Amino acid sequence: MAEITVRNLHKEFGVGADKIVALDDVNLDISGHVFVSIVGASGCGKSTLLNILSGIETPSHGQVQITEDGRPAAKGYVFQAARLLPWRTVMDNLLFVQKDRSEQTRARCQRYLDMVQLGDKGRKYPGELSGGMQQRVGIARAFSTEPDVLFMDEPFSHLDAITARSLRAELQNMWQETRKTVIFVTHDVGEAVELSNRILVFAKGGHLADDIDMPLPFPRDVADPEVAVAKANVFRTFEQIGALAVS
Amino acid sequence: MATAVASPPTSAPPRTSEEERVRAARRRDRINAVAWRLAGYAFFLGLWEFASGRLMDERLLPGPVDVLRTFGELWASGKVPGAFADTLTRIGIGFAIAFVVGAAIGILMQNRLLNGFFRDAVTIGVTTPGLIWALITAIIFGNRPWGPLIAIVLTTFALISVNVAEGIKALPKDLIDMAKSFGVGVVRRNRQIVIPHLAPYIFTGVRFGFSIAWKVTVLTEVFSSSSGIGFEMRTASQLFRLPEFLTWILAFYVFALLLEKVVLEVIERRFFAWRDTIKS
Repeated sequence: MAEITVRNLHKEFGVGADKIVALDDVNLDISGHVFVSIVGASGCGKSTLLNILSGIETPSHGQVQITEDGRPAAKGYVFQAARLLPWRTVMDNLLFVQKDRSEQTRARCQRYLDMVQLGDKGRKYPGELSGGMQQRVGIARAFSTEPDVLFMDEPFSHLDAITARSLRAELQNMWQETRKTVIFVTHDVGEAVELSNRILVFAKGGHLADDIDMPLPFPRDVADPEVAVAKANVFRTFEQIGALAVS
Repeated sequence: MATAVASPPTSAPPRTSEEERVRAARRRDRINAVAWRLAGYAFFLGLWEFASGRLMDERLLPGPVDVLRTFGELWASGKVPGAFADTLTRIGIGFAIAFVVGAAIGILMQNRLLNGFFRDAVTIGVTTPGLIWALITAIIFGNRPWGPLIAIVLTTFALISVNVAEGIKALPKDLIDMAKSFGVGVVRRNRQIVIPHLAPYIFTGVRFGFSIAWKVTVLTEVFSSSSGIGFEMRTASQLFRLPEFLTWILAFYVFALLLEKVVLEVIERRFFAWRDTIKS
């Protein structure tokens, strides 16, 4: 079981008058097969938190520990843009992040390509695919390493509403099927309510303002009154915090 | 007992007449383009043949037929391949040195202080005409083999430096971060991201660098060498053998065309096929 422990996490950029505090004394415990969304206005430090958790950036001080049954956890990442190597085929893009190139690994990559409905596109170059397809490849790539923890940074924000919706449904299925821990950054409250069983709300200045449990069963229909109420509640919290941040 | 035999799948759906028409139009377009190109050759060669002996003395302007005959004679005598071998060896060695030096400077220029150290030298290298280096090295080295080599290095290293520096500056940080977050090691990152990213920049540098190296080499040979294409041109002009002189120019064109159409296009198709996918 994946365990994420964050203690007194602090991150700042720049020095002197230009100093910006991105994260301010963040404490967190996440464990097991959960889908955690991090929401907040832009500039509240949510992407920075994700980058620190995934190891792209280092904290100014504080501790982060991510383990799977006591050993360091394997991590996967889905970015805002697909970030595929344009000079490699779709299949080679998946193989690029694997530990080995065995037949087994290839079969696994193919399975995840099938899962995002791109099973027949392995030989195509990213440039030959639409934006939504490229993002699907990015998702398949992250799942194909079979990580213990999957980090996603606003993966659907560049897509049109219809594509984003179908990808959300696919992601939901893959999460149920593979039982990963997912940390999902978004500025879209509706998306967070639809997908997650826990929502962390960040306020300006980089502090964790609220931690909301979302016990509603999956799949969630946005038209369902219970889901709509939950969404309204999160929005209310969000607005309160937004107001606090301004004062 | 009746056996149901599945009808064999048709290999391809029947082409629509629309597709057929587009294809035919494309074919016509290609034939047209080739025809105009050939017409261009016919016109200018015809003009040349007409001018030779009519508008100008045959000894001053030998016609294309004459030149072609001389070309055949020189080729058979082994003079053409020999001169090409000499010139190409010079270019090969000189350009290899220029490439190593140029790439090293391009990499070093990423450092702010070293950038200041090299910047003006590179600018001078890019802007100075090859003719100047050819003259200077001819004066200093005479017909010793160092002359052409140094001229090549001085005229082309900066082109490589500029392209390599530009390529490094534009390194795709997002892809490198992606690879890091997946725990991809530095060797695989370099092989799969850095080198493919730099390849088109290096290719551009090599392509232009080579065409300049080629001109400078022939120039230095004209001034101060005892072998190679430039030397043969000088000899032919001094002995007033114009058919021979023009033959060397013809050989020069044939080689340049071969290089452009065959070698470079093959490289481009082989290594940069993925670029077409972005346009489509």
